[in-house]
Amino acid sequence: MTAEKTYIKPATVTEALRIANEHSNDFCYVAGGTDILVNKYQGNKECSCLIDITGLAELKTISIAGDQLKIGALVRLDELKKHEVIAIKFPALLIAAQEVASPMLRKTATIGGNILCENRCSFYNQSEWWREAIGYCLKCDGDVCIATGGKKACFSKFVSDTAPVLISAGAMIELQDIDGVKIIPLETIYTGDGVKPRNIPDTAILTNIILPLNHDFNIVFKKLRPREAVDFTSLTTAVSLNEKGDIKIVIGGVDPKPVVVEGTAKGIPEDYIKKALAKSRVVDNDFYSRKYRREMMRLFLEQSFEELLK
Amino acid sequence: MITCNLYFFKLMKQATYYVNGKKHAVVVGEHELLSDVIRNKIGLTGTKEGCSQGSCGACTVLVNNEAVLSCITPALRYDGANITTIEGVATAEGLHRLQEKFVEKGAVQCGFCTPGMVITALDFIKHNPNPSVDEIKMALSGNLCRCTGYKKIIEAVSEYVKESQPNNHNQPVAAIPLPETKQRSVGVGRPYIEAAKKVQGIADYADDYQIKDALHVKFLRSIYPHAKIDQIDTEAASRVEGVRYIATGKELPVTFGVLPISQDETAMAIEKTRYVGEIVAAVAADSEEIAEAACKLIKVKYTPIKEFLTISDSINDIGPNEKIHEYGKFNNNIHKKAELRFGDQQQGLKDADVVSKMSFGFEGINHGFTEPHAASAYWDENGLTIITATQVTHYLQRALAKTMEVPLSRVRVIKPYVGGGFGGKGDPFPHEIIISHIARKTRKPVKVCLTREEVFLTNHGRHPSKMTISLGADNDGFLKVLDADIAIDGGAYGSFGVVTSYYNGVLLQAPYKLDNFGFKTIRVYTNKPQCGAMRGHGAVNSRFAVESLIDDIAHRINMDPVALRMKNFLDSNTLTVGHYRITSNGSRESIQKVAEQSGWEDKHGKLEYGHGLGVGCGFFISGSALPIIWNELPQSTVHLKVDFDGRVLVTSGANDIGQGSDTMLAIIVAEVLGISMDNIFVIGADTLLTPVDLGSYSSRVTFMAGNAAKNAAENLKTEIAEAISKKKEIPANELNFSDDRIFSHDKLVDLSWMEAIDILTANRGAVSVSGKYISPKLGGDFKGSGAGLSPSYSFGACVAEVNVNIKTGHVKLLNVWGAHDCGKALNPLAVEGQLEGSWHMGIGQAMSEEMRYYNGLLVNNNFLDYKIPTSLDTPDIHTNIIETIDPEGPFGAKECGEGALHPVIPAIANAIYDAVGIRITNLPIKSEDVLELIKNKTPTLKGATI
Repeated sequence: MTAEKTYIKPATVTEALRIANEHSNDFCYVAGGTDILVNKYQGNKECSCLIDITGLAELKTISIAGDQLKIGALVRLDELKKHEVIAIKFPALLIAAQEVASPMLRKTATIGGNILCENRCSFYNQSEWWREAIGYCLKCDGDVCIATGGKKACFSKFVSDTAPVLISAGAMIELQDIDGVKIIPLETIYTGDGVKPRNIPDTAILTNIILPLNHDFNIVFKKLRPREAVDFTSLTTAVSLNEKGDIKIVIGGVDPKPVVVEGTAKGIPEDYIKKALAKSRVVDNDFYSRKYRREMMRLFLEQSFEELLK
Repeated sequence: MITCNLYFFKLMKQATYYVNGKKHAVVVGEHELLSDVIRNKIGLTGTKEGCSQGSCGACTVLVNNEAVLSCITPALRYDGANITTIEGVATAEGLHRLQEKFVEKGAVQCGFCTPGMVITALDFIKHNPNPSVDEIKMALSGNLCRCTGYKKIIEAVSEYVKESQPNNHNQPVAAIPLPETKQRSVGVGRPYIEAAKKVQGIADYADDYQIKDALHVKFLRSIYPHAKIDQIDTEAASRVEGVRYIATGKELPVTFGVLPISQDETAMAIEKTRYVGEIVAAVAADSEEIAEAACKLIKVKYTPIKEFLTISDSINDIGPNEKIHEYGKFNNNIHKKAELRFGDQQQGLKDADVVSKMSFGFEGINHGFTEPHAASAYWDENGLTIITATQVTHYLQRALAKTMEVPLSRVRVIKPYVGGGFGGKGDPFPHEIIISHIARKTRKPVKVCLTREEVFLTNHGRHPSKMTISLGADNDGFLKVLDADIAIDGGAYGSFGVVTSYYNGVLLQAPYKLDNFGFKTIRVYTNKPQCGAMRGHGAVNSRFAVESLIDDIAHRINMDPVALRMKNFLDSNTLTVGHYRITSNGSRESIQKVAEQSGWEDKHGKLEYGHGLGVGCGFFISGSALPIIWNELPQSTVHLKVDFDGRVLVTSGANDIGQGSDTMLAIIVAEVLGISMDNIFVIGADTLLTPVDLGSYSSRVTFMAGNAAKNAAENLKTEIAEAISKKKEIPANELNFSDDRIFSHDKLVDLSWMEAIDILTANRGAVSVSGKYISPKLGGDFKGSGAGLSPSYSFGACVAEVNVNIKTGHVKLLNVWGAHDCGKALNPLAVEGQLEGSWHMGIGQAMSEEMRYYNGLLVNNNFLDYKIPTSLDTPDIHTNIIETIDPEGPFGAKECGEGALHPVIPAIANAIYDAVGIRITNLPIKSEDVLELIKNKTPTLKGATI
């Protein structure tokens, strides 16, 4: 039996943090909710206290501070395009945002939510009845991974489309918790453990995404999915090249965390591609087979390098 | 593991919503979703729920003037907000112009996606008042429609946008344009008679009926594919406050099934379960939430037994294991063998100059109607009444009478508006039987609405199949022989499977002349959700195979695939080798039309590598000539009643499920009587009020119910003419019925419709007449001769154009040109809608749809993972109606709702062959398979020759 269901809609971050700490073991923050509420409907996410943070006006702005662009975590995916600076400096972010889900979902889903989107797996994103029938997997307190036929690790996919672009552009995130504000590189929050894919404290609120404006990035974004709308990614690649010749490959949809490989324009693309392939723990938990996704990963990266280095 | 949020732990809050300008103070559960509040607390059921996870768009509403998916929105987020639902879009002045456009353009079929589409489009246009067509397609890409192929929806929005531009000087037309001077009904494209109701969200679907004091039912479903049920412990569940009844299988021992020869199902599993998802127990409670929580407390002890999940598992001797059904004398799980042979296939194959033989594999697919199954049942002095989303009221009446063990006269089945069927609402279903039973036991109304996952588990979709087919021809391109060896995976129960078994084979005997033709189909039981009838029933997969083989032969003898087909088409007014009587036949016109329109001659075989054009043909029955249950009732009966007010009431058991059959009936009656549609009112599919019609399956309604309506209208016309003849002393045959008037040739008698009705009803009162349709006796005198017999057949062709990305294997479908011989388009707007919907559904099966199983458990049981093409995945569709005026169809009409699907899938595969030289033999066409085939391309793959 769980506690009483409650729903709270705080007006400030401070208030939200206070409420979260009061319900420390049994709450979840809801922004757009397009991910969490579906998981809740399927019984994947049980929490009695929903803290709806959509009222936190302070997280809805996009601003420039010095050589940093700050995107509020509650900026909705379809609002990003309204900001000229993003269109000029990070057009790949707009493309990535536009490729998320469907137009209607993008009107509700926030960029913060997309970054923190729960990992997915064909054997996990199912109703409670279904998961009982299949025999609960690791990600829902079972003993083994079903997708791999019994491994002791969870390979649920990291599926954010915007995070790979952001990481490729060196994004930092601002986390606020009861004990203060922390700014850390976005890529460091992903653990690679499909069961608990992010290491940020439950009570912390992602407040801002910070992108550097003192670099010029050229970023190539690609996404593989069965249909041209609605679908989560089967493979997302973002490859960036900055004015110094630094290259950053970030791949989503192929591992419990974004796969990151760094290099320089002087390096050999093939080496980077091999490294990326080696780091990606792709399993058969998607519409497309493991084999095909690996093949497309190579192709997407080859094409991205061609586009960047031509 | 199982957590249980029992309702009494739930707090409630008072919230206020200003919905469509009206203030509603409601008590809302803390975690309640906005869609629930709008539908169930505020009672505005125009907002639909199709998926409950934001994947279909049907639940879209405006909150503070912005579109929101209400099924994944916490209601309390918007406490105090202004909400506009579909009911608030029209004003006292009338429909919103966009709604009018939806109506006028035929963008409304079943109407279930319509509210969400309209709201989404309005929201989009507000932000982007002058969008391109591509932008409109993008904007609607999160709203699934299964009926229209999006074409008419996109047209409606485009035209609305165009007319709304400030520089547009054309005054918007105030009302829907009506047919000009000489009033005709047949052949004039018009919206469905109920379209305005649907576009405003005020048409009630099964789950929209709010019956007071109703109990809500939830089911406990098996978690094993094949298991003995040792014990069901309902004790803990029954103690939950608010639980009123728990039913288990033993209470409903009577078997049922849509076919008399396959009465192999019970409402709930009794001794054992046969698939994961089979209902084991049902809980009726004061709310869905309580019922669901109580279900989780029921403990079932199972002993799993060996399961059979594939065709090969089930076709072989099963050794010491237990069969899925006792049925059948062999130690395997074969359900049905169907075999027919004409001529000599062995000799034919020897004699042929060229033989193409290939093996094909097809995954099962689901109808994907947007409205989940839902029903309400109650008992009163008239026996059982059930309001349910069905396309076969008549067969359901029979099944309920049988399983409830009451006379047929004690069962009333009412079909409300239905949000699509496509064959998937064509069987009696366990949930309908269970709620009827519980309603009787509790003496309360009982309501059920399945989740999307449950809809997928209920299935009855297209059979997964495997087949090897040989087709032989001579060097001149004349087809000589066809031999098909087919196995289909029926799942756990019979459903329509015996018919499906035959249709896979028999429906290959046209549209081409064949002297040596034979097939064998084996249908097996497996421990999976059952398969049944789905649009294009039975023959879609085997048609794909044959059209691929024809394409192969054409390439091998270096003949144009269109030319080869033209050589082989059956003529009109002929018999097939299996004694089908072909009357009207528009095959040639159809293929010529699409070849011409697509630029076939200039493009086929001539485009650059990766770009190709392909063609396919097909044909289908226009209603099964034989009823499912043998008896001497007419296949359709239609009643007309006219009273002093001049209105003609049409009552018919035909099930309008969004295909427009009510409108079709009205058109026919209006045409015969020469009166306007305003004088006609249709009541359809209520087994108390309407005479028997067998239902909406086998594409029979236009032909059969249409003929019955025509017959009834002619009978009424005779009655009127005779009354006037007597009164005015003029021969009845000198009277004309036209333009709401009845007049003699010399106009000496010239009466308005109302004057005529005064004469008719004088000293007599209301007049009722009846009309019927009985199929002529058809077919040969051999076992199995009845399969696929129809009084008429439809024919059609498609050309598809594709781009194949040779690096990814991705196939981009660019264009589909389709033509379909529907005899006569009684309502061209509706016919186009049926054709476009058929092609769209075929595209889905070709490109992305499949039911994927893991150990018997359906993996992709929702609208996110089951890939129905969105507006962005749908190519430009070019629609052509071919009219051949069938000698026996009503005004020459025949079917248009299913047959059109057949040619589109092979046309796509053949286009891929034209583009990159690979032969597709498995559906759906997956990028990875295409890529693999391109990489491994060898001469043998160019047709897998023997």
